[in-house]
Amino acid sequence: MAELFWASMTELARLIATKAVSPVEVVQVHLDRIAALDADLRAYITVCADAALEAARAAEAALAAGQPVGPLHGVPYALKDLYDTAGVRTTGGSKIFAERIPATDATVARRLARAGGILLGKLNMVEFAYGPEGLNTHYGHARNPWDRGRHRMAGGSSSGSGVGVAAGLAPGTLGSDTGGSIRIPASLCGITGLKPTYGRVSRAGVLPLAWSMDHVGPMTRTAADCALMLGAIAGYDPADASTSVLPVPDYLAALTGDVRGLRVGLLRSFFLEGATAEVRTAVEAAAKILTAAGAVVDEVSLETVKYVPATALAVVGSEALAYHAELLRTRAAEYDPDIARRLRVGAFVGGAHYVRAQQARALVRAEVDGVLARRDVLLAPSTPITAPAVDERQTTLGDGPSDVRSALIRFTRPFNVSGHPACAVPCGFTAGGLPIGMQLVGRPFDEATVLRAADAFQRLTDFHTRRPVA
Amino acid sequence: MTNDPIDLATLRSGARLAGFEWTDAELEEIRPQVEAALRLFRVLEAVPIGDAEPTTLYRTV
Repeated sequence: MAELFWASMTELARLIATKAVSPVEVVQVHLDRIAALDADLRAYITVCADAALEAARAAEAALAAGQPVGPLHGVPYALKDLYDTAGVRTTGGSKIFAERIPATDATVARRLARAGGILLGKLNMVEFAYGPEGLNTHYGHARNPWDRGRHRMAGGSSSGSGVGVAAGLAPGTLGSDTGGSIRIPASLCGITGLKPTYGRVSRAGVLPLAWSMDHVGPMTRTAADCALMLGAIAGYDPADASTSVLPVPDYLAALTGDVRGLRVGLLRSFFLEGATAEVRTAVEAAAKILTAAGAVVDEVSLETVKYVPATALAVVGSEALAYHAELLRTRAAEYDPDIARRLRVGAFVGGAHYVRAQQARALVRAEVDGVLARRDVLLAPSTPITAPAVDERQTTLGDGPSDVRSALIRFTRPFNVSGHPACAVPCGFTAGGLPIGMQLVGRPFDEATVLRAADAFQRLTDFHTRRPVA
Repeated sequence: MTNDPIDLATLRSGARLAGFEWTDAELEEIRPQVEAALRLFRVLEAVPIGDAEPTTLYRTV
């Protein structure tokens, strides 16, 4: 199978379980692809070739022996390099942690291994996950594979996850999302990324950016693969006090392909109105596709989004500084200067502002809950723009000029503040061939409906099946 | 909260209160961002919070 690296995780799991392909072959195909392309794409910080092949041989032997296997048996995946992995360095995208080797796995890494997954390596990211552009001065800027002529942003902070999945260097990865760090690279790289509800997936063993806004989630090429990975990692973890005891549903079983009667709230004010014309047109077309399939679409607005920038700055600024305070005192020169500057600003967030921001979050969450009381999902662009060039700093949105950083996080960050689940899905391409992403936002702990809508959309469209030249 | 520019002495004092001894050059670098942040926080002060409690939920079971 010449293009096994484009197979989905669900397809790979089926092929491996039926012994149509060997886990060794699947892993080797991906390692070969990484060797051929990653010097240019820079998706990986560390590749675990020997360990992956050894695990693949063990998976093959287990199948041959007829042992019971997990849902990801023999299927390769990769992790953003902020998930602790026992014996494998976990850098957080920073030079400071270049030789940091954890003794234990993050809970989600352990759960993926228990499900039979095979770790290919650790993925590039923005240093300490603090930025949406996807740039990294220490390990090289990951390159968006959709434009071979110009170095464009992958989006961040899970930049290597976006590039790796889009270019066939891994069928699925885990990213993390504090202000959009799963959905932004998913949007810019043309893949699918799910930020689950806050508390659905354990953050134990994951380097934090801001504890109260960090979310762990899958990045894949299909909604079905997000469902597969989420099923493997979700659920209560005694090591993370924020995780919920709510039972984990069968996310794959929820993917019926049926959206008849699904109530969709299209977010126009601030969201569609803030997007560039090509993005707005693509998302409006997506709404029509869902309508034609039986969904009931109406337009809604969220007034409290105006509180989000100040709220997020106060929360993330304070929490990030708290984590980095000692390193900033002792090793400041080793940070990317831009990251160090933004961390330092956190020192000027007062305690009262931090608490007030956490109070404002309650208002944002209540408004989103209220809108979703009469709808099943909300629909909005994931990002107002497509992938900018790496040196681009200013852009023009549907409602005026903006710096690129603010533009990238504008539509995703409200749902980090509120904690609602949100899935980014490819929904079109620009005339220049760059992917466009939309996000579906659901009720707390109702990832099943979000994924059902995303999967149904992918059964009706082919945007997620298109591949970059790479 | 003031809209006035923040001078270096104020930045230095703020950093010290937070437990940091940053150089004047380091403080000058972040001055525009600090001023922007403080302007933004005026939005927070205007939020009609009512009796909303802060979002600090930690489950123990």
